[in-house]
Amino acid sequence: MFSLKPPRPTFRSYLLPPPQTDDKINSEPKIKKLEPVLLPGEIVVNEVNFVRKCIATDTSQYDLWGKLICSNFKISFITDDPMPLQKFHYRNLLLGEHDVPLTCIEQIVTANKINGIPSGGGSGPGGGGVQKTPLFETYSDWDREVKRTGASGWRVCSINEGYMISTCLPEYFVVPSSLADQDLKIFSHSFVGRRMPLWCWSHSNGSALVRMALIKDVLQQRKIDQRICNAITKSHPQRSDVYKSDLDKTLPNIQEIQAAFVKLKQLCVNEPFEETEEKWLSSLENTRWLEYVRAFLKHSAELVYILESRHLSVVLQEEEGRDLSCIVASLVQVMLDPHFRTLTGFQSLIQKEWVMAGYQFLDRCNHLKRSEKESPLFLLFLDATWQLLDQYPAAFEFSETYLAVLYDSTRISLFGTFLFNSPHQRVKQSTEFAISKNIQLGDEKGLKFPSVWDWSLQFTAKDRTLFHNPLYIGKSTPCVQNSSLKSFKRTKKNYSSTLRGMPASLKNGIISDQDLVPRRNSLILKAKPDLPQQPESQNSGMERYFREWFSKPANLHGVILPQLSGTHVKLWKLCYFRWVPEAQINLGGFITAFHKLSVLADEVDVLSRTLRQHQAGPLEACYAELDKSRMYFRASGPHDASGTPEFLSSSFPFSPVGNLCRRSISGTPLSKFLSGAKIWLSTETLANED
Amino acid sequence: MEHIRTPKVENVRLVDRISSKKATLGTLYLTATHVIFVENAPDTRKETWILHSQISTIEKQATTATGCPLLVRCKNFQLLQLVIPQERDCHDVYISLIRLARPVKYEELYCFSFNPKLDKEEREQGWTLIDLSEEYKRMGLPNNYWQLSDVNRDYRVCDSYPTELYVPKSATAHIIVGSSKFRSRRRFPALSYYYKDNHASICRSSQPLSGFSARCLEDEQMLQAIRKANPGSDFIYVVDTRPKLNAMANRAAGKGYENEDNYSNIKFQFIGIENIHVMRSSLQKMLEVCELKSPSMSDFLWGLENSGWLRHIKAIMDAGIFIAKAVSEEGASVLVHCSDGWDRTAQVCSVASLLLDPHYRTLKGFMVLIEKDWISFGHKFNHRYGNLDGDPKEISPVIDQFIECVWQLMEQFPCAFEFNERFLIHIQHHIYSCQFGNFLCNSQKERQELKIQERTYSLWAHLWKNRADYMNPLFRADHSQTRGTLRLPTTPCNFMYKFWNGMYNRFEKGLQPRQSVTDYLMAVKEETQQLEEELEALEERLEKIQKVQLNHTKVKSKQSEPSKHSGFSTSDNSTANTPQDYSGNMKSFPSRSPSQGDEDSALILTQDNLKSSDPDLSANSDQESGVEDLSCRSPSGGECAPSEDSAKDRDSDEAVFLTA
Repeated sequence: MFSLKPPRPTFRSYLLPPPQTDDKINSEPKIKKLEPVLLPGEIVVNEVNFVRKCIATDTSQYDLWGKLICSNFKISFITDDPMPLQKFHYRNLLLGEHDVPLTCIEQIVTANKINGIPSGGGSGPGGGGVQKTPLFETYSDWDREVKRTGASGWRVCSINEGYMISTCLPEYFVVPSSLADQDLKIFSHSFVGRRMPLWCWSHSNGSALVRMALIKDVLQQRKIDQRICNAITKSHPQRSDVYKSDLDKTLPNIQEIQAAFVKLKQLCVNEPFEETEEKWLSSLENTRWLEYVRAFLKHSAELVYILESRHLSVVLQEEEGRDLSCIVASLVQVMLDPHFRTLTGFQSLIQKEWVMAGYQFLDRCNHLKRSEKESPLFLLFLDATWQLLDQYPAAFEFSETYLAVLYDSTRISLFGTFLFNSPHQRVKQSTEFAISKNIQLGDEKGLKFPSVWDWSLQFTAKDRTLFHNPLYIGKSTPCVQNSSLKSFKRTKKNYSSTLRGMPASLKNGIISDQDLVPRRNSLILKAKPDLPQQPESQNSGMERYFREWFSKPANLHGVILPQLSGTHVKLWKLCYFRWVPEAQINLGGFITAFHKLSVLADEVDVLSRTLRQHQAGPLEACYAELDKSRMYFRASGPHDASGTPEFLSSSFPFSPVGNLCRRSISGTPLSKFLSGAKIWLSTETLANED
Repeated sequence: MEHIRTPKVENVRLVDRISSKKATLGTLYLTATHVIFVENAPDTRKETWILHSQISTIEKQATTATGCPLLVRCKNFQLLQLVIPQERDCHDVYISLIRLARPVKYEELYCFSFNPKLDKEEREQGWTLIDLSEEYKRMGLPNNYWQLSDVNRDYRVCDSYPTELYVPKSATAHIIVGSSKFRSRRRFPALSYYYKDNHASICRSSQPLSGFSARCLEDEQMLQAIRKANPGSDFIYVVDTRPKLNAMANRAAGKGYENEDNYSNIKFQFIGIENIHVMRSSLQKMLEVCELKSPSMSDFLWGLENSGWLRHIKAIMDAGIFIAKAVSEEGASVLVHCSDGWDRTAQVCSVASLLLDPHYRTLKGFMVLIEKDWISFGHKFNHRYGNLDGDPKEISPVIDQFIECVWQLMEQFPCAFEFNERFLIHIQHHIYSCQFGNFLCNSQKERQELKIQERTYSLWAHLWKNRADYMNPLFRADHSQTRGTLRLPTTPCNFMYKFWNGMYNRFEKGLQPRQSVTDYLMAVKEETQQLEEELEALEERLEKIQKVQLNHTKVKSKQSEPSKHSGFSTSDNSTANTPQDYSGNMKSFPSRSPSQGDEDSALILTQDNLKSSDPDLSANSDQESGVEDLSCRSPSGGECAPSEDSAKDRDSDEAVFLTA
């Protein structure tokens, strides 16, 4: 589909070849012979030999020599030299360690991504793992979700099949049963973007979470609003009222969030640390980022109260209903429903509340570098999720590495998941492309792009185990508790096993009712609440709800609520500092604890498998199971013998070593390339290549 | 006690700091050693115990309609807001506490009346648990270059130094004495840590009396001797931990710093750690941030930054990192001093040792480190932590900062330390509590004169006995990370230093994390242990059943022996409520009628008292004293049920219960 033209000689090396004389003779042809690894359909746009890559902050001793190529997907540095100073890296299968996808680079216009993608089915959606992530593209996915949450009074509606009603809604979505398709069609005209109310989730008490856009038709506003609210009330088993939350009024807007993120990036990556040395905390505060993260967590927690304790259905209102609502709707569900704290559940949540709900990934991520609408709302959501993970380390199936990798994946333009503004856009654009290229679509609606949830495209099975949180206690863990052992008494002396507030007690991984009875180690929390501050009298109910919740042990398979004081909302260091060499602690950081915990968890896994084997007799299935491990670090693996692996650092599995160093980038050929590139590399240039 | 004007006030309200609306009604007691607040609520009767020595300030606030508020701030960062109905009572409590919180004689301190029911032998053993001469032996001393000097026998040269000191072999008594005369308070250069891998050492002293131009041949020879004791390097670093400006100002007073021209082969380096006054006010500012009722993100971050606290912590860490690098990477010896060489010098030497030597990252090693760099080298515990009434300007959180540095390191290297956060918090608590004799006085000489070891108990033995509570579950001695030097980036990384919620907000349960990995593992560990115990007991029982072939019912019936109700012996001490008779942590203060099931009361005990091996674990802190007095007075009065059905498992001396 592409004719591979010989690259135009627009790159020039301004450097002398490596100074070593003996090498010089050999190195020249050697470097020229280096071949880039290309994906199918990827084309080399340009290349240059004798490029030096600076990889250490303080010395040029480790610099690598090689060839720099630029394709329509990535910038790739190719070298024969092995990486010094680095005994480990996890591998992305699409990108080598010296590769940067073009979409990752700020200030550069990228290729037209649709052109670059290999078409023709691909490996299909869904995770490579056991469980498939529901994509919510079909009727049945929605239907299953409605049934899973036990929502009565709600139905899947298919009036938008073929995007006949709205181009920014999914083809299928869920509405109150009492609203007929005909009514919906009429109402839809009054909503911004024809985005009528979308059901997100239902609490087991019947309260539903609904998101909708504003009603632009002023005359009809009250009437329609009334109808919708009545319908939602009718869908509630207790016919209780609807609580409306106007997100535009209560939360920071997308411009403010973008401004905060720009400042945060400036602070964490772009500025030399000397300048912020004395003022680190106030600079951090000046970005407002943490304040915003906190605001979203707080607002979501308040809605949790409404849904859970006041038994009211909540309607999230926002102008277009496809930005702040995505964050709030997802956070509320992460807090309320343990299903969304599993890996598959979390992915389905993102499909449901972001991809299908029409979050404008193309504009907000600014994939085409020409959007004024850039805003890191998705990152803010991941950051807020990280805060919850940090506060409840055992409540999530996935690790912070997973969250960071997920964020990175929004910047790799190969996946259809985070590429478009809406499902409709994906279908439309790719169909047009297919027609222009004479690609047979068959029955498919548009081209199938690889899904980001198919992690096997990016990572090996081994690397994917890094996504698993060793502390997570799954529901499936068997309870071998013998009833006679249940009442623990103090046998020796009275000591509390903890210093402070304790996590919920564990009984072989299961929180059981008995645990509410204090036992010897007094695992019961006696914590006081950290209340979202509210005008006192009005919100005393909310205050009481939070206080009561915080005074009980946290049930990891129930609701979790964030703590919101200044000491609890933290900077997500792994995400923002992982490429900064100065911030790296060798053999330190949380990852060392993660390593030990993984080994422990693996040991437990192995033991329980062996146990099951004993009980069940020699079952073949168990053998297959035995070589599979959830954990990256294995109990009996090679790492264990040597103790903490030498390659661990606080940035693991990311490594700032070998990547572009902030300080040495200016003045290097790469920096020249980057600034020069602005001139020649543009969409038009690439378009002409076709 | 003559200082107690009113021993008991009823209907006092204890105000919850976080939600001001919530207050608990109860009774306030003053005893010779503690302030005790007992909740009225019959189902909990939660107690809050505060040692007098922990009280930092008492503030009487304007009387309101509901009563007279009294604000008690503690040195362990507890904050108590009491509302006393009668103005007169409030005044009496206030006056009593002011006096009780500021003892004038050492003998008034808690450690002289604290009796954990150990016999003389056990007490003496406790004091020998940490042995510094063993520690120097572990470092590989004495050897060809270093020897034990008796020059300070009977504190003849320096009264704030220990008697046993290591000095270079080539440093004669003449040189030492000469050098000591040229140093503030005669604190001459002596060995703090010897790095046997490459013979480099860390030495410490006070500032030289150099003024603008004075020289001292012996002092110069002393530094040369230190250099020669390390054949691997041809120079030594001299690190002055003060800001340059402060050091220069000292020159006008005839003190100052080493002139590189006068000393051969030294590299002189300033590392600006601020003085005790700056640190005191910095902590003050930070605690004000902690006291904010509901700080916004920006209140918190700005307040924290403006306090400068983390910047000071970083300065200390940087100094330690610099020294550790000089020793391990450059193989150069380092002489560290500040002004008197007992505050910043102690901080920096101990941080460097901790980075260099994994032994100090173990439970026992850490005790040794504090014993070595702080206690033996004359850190002025009494002055700095205000144990006796004294000059408030002398008070400063010097060792608190060191303890925080250790915590910051633990956060950065979660698997490198054998002990956990709680260990640090308990040490901090006991530095102020004066419950054990370790941290009394300003120097070894004073401690000897007071015969501390004969009259008080050692904290180290106590902590060691309860070491199960202090273990870091992530630590494994055989891991590479736990061996060797900890390497930290030296680039300016302020973001690595975090606010220590567990220390400064440790009494604010609502501000504590709901889950921490360590707590989690500890709980699992304990659970496992419990199950194993249970298993063992059951196996034993099974064996019994099979052996004797008793019928089922008989075995199932409880085998509990009658609990020991040993009446308390009247103490020989004249003060009414000393803790002599009260030992351990077993008392169940809230009385329960004996008719109630044993199991019941065991549960109540765990729930209400949340007692721990250490008194300060829970907010209702010290329970180790004055109980008999109190129980007699307590409104429900009377009897204490045996708190457990398994009294047989207990040491008999742990169970001292009262009978009505």
